[in-house]
Amino acid sequence: MTAEAAPEQPFKQEGRFFNVAGLALRNAGLTLLTLTLYRFWARTAMRRRVWSRIRTMGDPLEYTGSAWELFRGFLISLPTFFLPAAFVFYIAPLLMDPVSASWLGIGFYLVVVPLMAAARYWMRRYQLSRTRWRGIRLGLAGSAWNFAFASWGWSILQSLSLGWYTPAARINRARLLWDNARFGDQPFNFVDDGESPQKGLWWPFAMGWFAFPLACLVAFMIATAVAAGLIGAGMLTPATPEAPMNPAANIVIGVVMIVFVLLLMLLFWAPYNAAAMNRIASLIELDGARFRLKAKTFSWFFVSLASWLITIFSLTLLAPLGGFLRVRYVINRLEIIGSPRFAEIGQSIVPEGKSGEGLGDAFDLDMGVGIV
Amino acid sequence: MRVRYADGRAAVTHDATCEIGEDALTLRIGETSHTWTFAESRRADDGASGVILKRKPDTGERIFFAPDDTAELRARAPELFTARTLGREGRGVVIGLVAAAWSLAGVFLVGVPMLAAPIADHIPSRYRDQIADISWSQVDAVTNYCDDSDEAARILNDLTYRLMATSNVPQREQVWVTIVDAPFPNAFALPDNSIVVTDDLIALAENPDELTGVLAHEIAHIEHNHIMKNLIRHVGVGIFFDVVVGGAGAGQALALASVNLAGLSYSRDDESDADRRGLDYLDAAGIDTGALARLFDRFAEQAQEHGAAGMPTLFSSHPATAERAAAARARARAGRRPSLTDAEWQVVRAACGGGLRNQIAPEPETGTAPAQQPAPAAEQPLAGGEKPGAEDGKPK
Repeated sequence: MTAEAAPEQPFKQEGRFFNVAGLALRNAGLTLLTLTLYRFWARTAMRRRVWSRIRTMGDPLEYTGSAWELFRGFLISLPTFFLPAAFVFYIAPLLMDPVSASWLGIGFYLVVVPLMAAARYWMRRYQLSRTRWRGIRLGLAGSAWNFAFASWGWSILQSLSLGWYTPAARINRARLLWDNARFGDQPFNFVDDGESPQKGLWWPFAMGWFAFPLACLVAFMIATAVAAGLIGAGMLTPATPEAPMNPAANIVIGVVMIVFVLLLMLLFWAPYNAAAMNRIASLIELDGARFRLKAKTFSWFFVSLASWLITIFSLTLLAPLGGFLRVRYVINRLEIIGSPRFAEIGQSIVPEGKSGEGLGDAFDLDMGVGIV
Repeated sequence: MRVRYADGRAAVTHDATCEIGEDALTLRIGETSHTWTFAESRRADDGASGVILKRKPDTGERIFFAPDDTAELRARAPELFTARTLGREGRGVVIGLVAAAWSLAGVFLVGVPMLAAPIADHIPSRYRDQIADISWSQVDAVTNYCDDSDEAARILNDLTYRLMATSNVPQREQVWVTIVDAPFPNAFALPDNSIVVTDDLIALAENPDELTGVLAHEIAHIEHNHIMKNLIRHVGVGIFFDVVVGGAGAGQALALASVNLAGLSYSRDDESDADRRGLDYLDAAGIDTGALARLFDRFAEQAQEHGAAGMPTLFSSHPATAERAAAARARARAGRRPSLTDAEWQVVRAACGGGLRNQIAPEPETGTAPAQQPAPAAEQPLAGGEKPGAEDGKPK
C-alpha cells in the first residue's frame, strides 16, 4: 500500500481558465445549434473537465455520470412535470373559470416549493453518486422529502423573520445535507463543536441586511447622475423638442441601477457568504478529520463578481465558466486537519440510481458545473 | 512499468508493476496478479494528466499510470486514446440532437401554426368567452370606460353593421364596438368579437372614413378568426420554449401575452389578409378607401419623424405602412360620400370627453363628396347603444 504522505496542499483545482473557457464556448455553440437539447452533454463534459482537475491528496476526482442519464431524466420529467405544468399554466387559465384556475395555480406553487427543494436534493444525490475518488463512490443517503419539507419550513421562518432566520436556515440545510453525505461507506458528520452553529455569522448578516436599502439608494443616485451627465453631454436628447424623451435614457438609468445594485449587494453580502462557507466547512468531519476553508471577503467578492459578469454578459451560456471560478476558489482554499483512515473506508453501499436531475433541469437548478 | 492500483474496496492505492501485452495488461501486486483485456478496459480520466484505467462494468478498480509512462499503452491499445473513450460524444449524437431539436421546432413553430385555423374554428364559444374575459381584464387594466360614449358607440356600431353586410362574419350580433379612454391610439378585436377603439385613435383620425377603414380591418380579423389562431400559435411557441429550453416561465408569459394588449399583434399574412378584406368591405359599402391611405401616409410620416416607437401599435406591424397605403390608394374612388354625417362625426369625436380633440380638430376637408348624408345602410343594426347581454352599458 502506498504510504499516505501529508501533501502541502491536500485539495487543489488545477483547471486553467482558458482551457475551461474553450469547452464552455464549444458547449455554448452546440447548445444554441441544438436549441438547448445539447445541454445534457454540455453539463456532463463540463463536470468531467472540472472534476478531473480537482486533486485530493494528489489523485483526481472522477465524474462518472453520462449525458444519456440526464437526458433520460429530462424525458421522464416531460409527462410527470411538464404535462401537468402545461395544463396549469396554459390550458387552465384559458379554459377554466378564473377562480378555479387561480386555485389550481396556487395549489401547483404550493407543491412546487417543496418539490424544488427535493429536486435539489436528488440532484445532489445524483452528482455525489457519480463522483469517485480512487474508485470509491460518494453518495447521499436520507430522504429528499424530509429535506424538502424541512427546507420549506425554514423558508417560511425566513419570510416571517424578514430574513433574519437565514443564517440558521443555511446551517440547518447544510447539516441535513452533510449528515447524509457519504464517502464510500464512511459518513460525513456535521459536528457540534460546543459553540453556536451560527457563530460569527450574525454581524456579517446584519451588514448585508441593512445594506440592501442603502445599495438601492446609492445605485439610484449613481444611475441618475450618469443619466444626467449623458443628457448634459447631449447624448440622450430627443431628435426634436416635441419628440418624447429618448427611451435610451430610461434604459441607461435602468442598466446602471441594476449594475450598481448587483455590485453593492455582492460587496455587502460577501462577508456573510465567506463567513458562512468557512463556518460550514469547519463543522464537517470525515472519520475524525476536520476541514478548514479560508474564504476571504474581498477575494470572494471579486470571484463572485467575475462569475456574475460572465453569466450575465453571456446570457447564461457561459455560466459554467463562472461556476468553475467559484469551485476553483473554494477547492484551493480548503484544508484538512488530520487524516481519515483511507484504508478503512470501503466501497459505498448507497444505491446509485439510474437517472437523475430531470426535475433539477426543469427548475434550472444547475447552470452546468454542479452543486457538489 | 510501475503503476498504482486501487482495488475498489478501500480508498487507498497499492504500488504495482504492469506488463502490457498484445491485447491485455497484467498487473502484479505483491504475490497476486490480475489480467485486464483492453476490450474490458475504459478510461477513467479525461486526458488532462496521467492515464487512469477502469473496467467495464465498473468494479471500482483503477490503474494509475504516470503521465510519462503511457507511450507503450498508447502503442498497444490506441483505442483507449480516442476522443470517444475520453468521454466526448460522437458526431452522430450531435447530428441526431440537431435533427431532433429542429424537428421539434418544426412541429411547434410550423405545424401548430398550420393547424391553428382548424383548431381555432372548433374552440367552443364558452371557452372563447373565458379567454375574452382575460383579454377584457387586460383592457380594463390600461383603459377607462367612457360614460359619455353610448351615442358615439351606437353610431360606430351602425357603421360596423353596414360594413359587415357583405362579410362572412358568422355571428354578427356578437360584434360590438366599445370606445375606451386610453393614452395610446389603437383599435383591436377581442376573442368575443368585440372591437375596442381608443379615444386617441379617434383623435388621430382627420375624417370619419379613416376610422371606418380601421373598423373594416378589425372586422376582417374577426371574420377570419385571426384572434384565436394567433392565440394557438402563441401557446404552441410557449410550450415549445418551456419544454425544450427547460424551466417554466418565459413560454408561459409568451402564451398569456397573446391574450393581452401587448400580444395583440398578428402575423404578416394575417395583417395583409385583414387589409385586403377590409378594403373589400369599404368598397362594397361605397366608402372611399383613399382616406385609409391618407391615414397610413400620416403614420409613415410620423414614423419617419419620431421613429417606430412613436407609431400606433395598430400600424407598427408588418407589412410596411407605405405598402399598405399604396394598396388602399389603388382602390380609392373619388366622389363617394363620407361614411358618417358631420353631426355623427362630431358625436363620435366628443366621446370620452373629446373637448380637447374638438379644439385641435383639423378644418373639414374640401373637395370631397357632400358630407351631410352618409352612405346608405346595407343592413339594419341593432338599435340602442348597448351590446345584448351587456351590463352597465359595458360589454362582457
